[in-house]
Amino acid sequence: MQCVVRFPAKWVDASSFEAALCSSGPHDPTSFEVAFEFPIGCKVMVDTGIRLLSLVNQLASTTRRVRLDFEEGETGTMGYLDRMGFFDYLADDVEVLPSRPFYSAAELHRGGNAALVEIARISASERDEELPTRLTDALMQSCHARPDADELRGAAWTIFAELIDNIFSHSGTRLDGYAALQVYPGGNRLLVAVSDSGLGIMETLRPALNTEFPRLAGLSDTNLLVEVFRQGLSRHGPDRGCGLKGSAAKAIKFNADLDVRLPNQRVFLRPARGAYEAHKAYCHEGLSLLWGTHIAFAFKLAS
Amino acid sequence: MASMNENVRMLTLRELMNRPEGWGREQGREVYQRLLRSVEGSAGTMVFKISMRGVQRVDISFASETIVELARRYRGTKGFCVVDLSDPDLIENIDAAAARKAQPLTVWQGKWPRVIGPAPTQGCREALDLALARPQVRAAEFAMGKKDMSIANASMKFKQLWEQGFLLRRESAADTGGVEFVYQRIG
Repeated sequence: MQCVVRFPAKWVDASSFEAALCSSGPHDPTSFEVAFEFPIGCKVMVDTGIRLLSLVNQLASTTRRVRLDFEEGETGTMGYLDRMGFFDYLADDVEVLPSRPFYSAAELHRGGNAALVEIARISASERDEELPTRLTDALMQSCHARPDADELRGAAWTIFAELIDNIFSHSGTRLDGYAALQVYPGGNRLLVAVSDSGLGIMETLRPALNTEFPRLAGLSDTNLLVEVFRQGLSRHGPDRGCGLKGSAAKAIKFNADLDVRLPNQRVFLRPARGAYEAHKAYCHEGLSLLWGTHIAFAFKLAS
Repeated sequence: MASMNENVRMLTLRELMNRPEGWGREQGREVYQRLLRSVEGSAGTMVFKISMRGVQRVDISFASETIVELARRYRGTKGFCVVDLSDPDLIENIDAAAARKAQPLTVWQGKWPRVIGPAPTQGCREALDLALARPQVRAAEFAMGKKDMSIANASMKFKQLWEQGFLLRRESAADTGGVEFVYQRIG
């Protein structure tokens, strides 16, 4: 069966990405061919871009035929994805229409634009030691007008360092993870996204709950996820898990929104009264399968 | 009387790191092994001052695997304190890591010690404040300054602080001829 995912002819953010996926299940066992269509006017945002990259590479790794059809060609969202380095990491056997870019715009212009950090690969075999610093520098270029800019630098570095390290430590993935950053001056915000195709937080944590945190075993996935960021839960027991908790605490201090996509759920958290609270979370369950953990933080450029 | 703090060694963390940033658990474990070798290489040393000079950043995971893990491993026998630390973000990250592992760490800013990580219990707070304010203290001295505080009760509080890693202690001859413990802040 062929599965067709058609994105809308507008900005594709995390919500419209899910809406496009929801009618079709690219990971469905009956689908052996998946086509992603990008009509004229379709503009993929950075967090969606790396979620899409992860999804497409997941599908390609399961021997499905995958096709990306950019109806506007390189003048449209394909040009943006190329600038971000999307095609540098796209699995070789994925078909691209009208054709793959002749050369990589990301390679040509890498580091040349302060408003973005090109997609970086997160691979256990090849650790990019500069990545948290590069993301931080880009964030600071854009957020220097914030009154709390000075404190933001150290906090941002820690957030990126912990999120990326979490992929190395926990996801046990054979597929690469990705990170990228984009500033959206019109929306007064900056998005930083980190995505991996490994085991999701729930898959690693759930089996350990009965022994490590029996009190929490009865929580729903959404409530449990909120506790991961509030209390810092880890399958390795109460000594660990401080990384995500610490990142969240810093993100809250700087009023950043947090969006987490798990294999079948998505949770959006907005800080309220100095915390992320379960009852303030926007949750979507029963989503189309996407392996791994995909996290995006949104910072305001100026308050 | 000899103080155990006379036997102090400085460890400059940056010299054991590959870069000025300490990032992640894996790097942390590598640096921990180097720290461990330095500590085991000076068997008689009771107190190690970990200098943060030259360290630009450490994340929480790195702090957890290095300084905090080291202090926890030797809790009660050797003391580890942190010096040359003023960056609020570094302090916050080490504090978060120490709190997570319930391992207090003494941070010296000039002549002033303060403890980060887990807070002492309410009942031990005053005893800790006294111990931090002077090089060494006996339970009897704490009991003497407080109404309704027996020496046995004061001893209990200091013992607890020692067991939890807030203080070090050594045996000393008591005025009465027996043995009593002298408690010392770390560093």
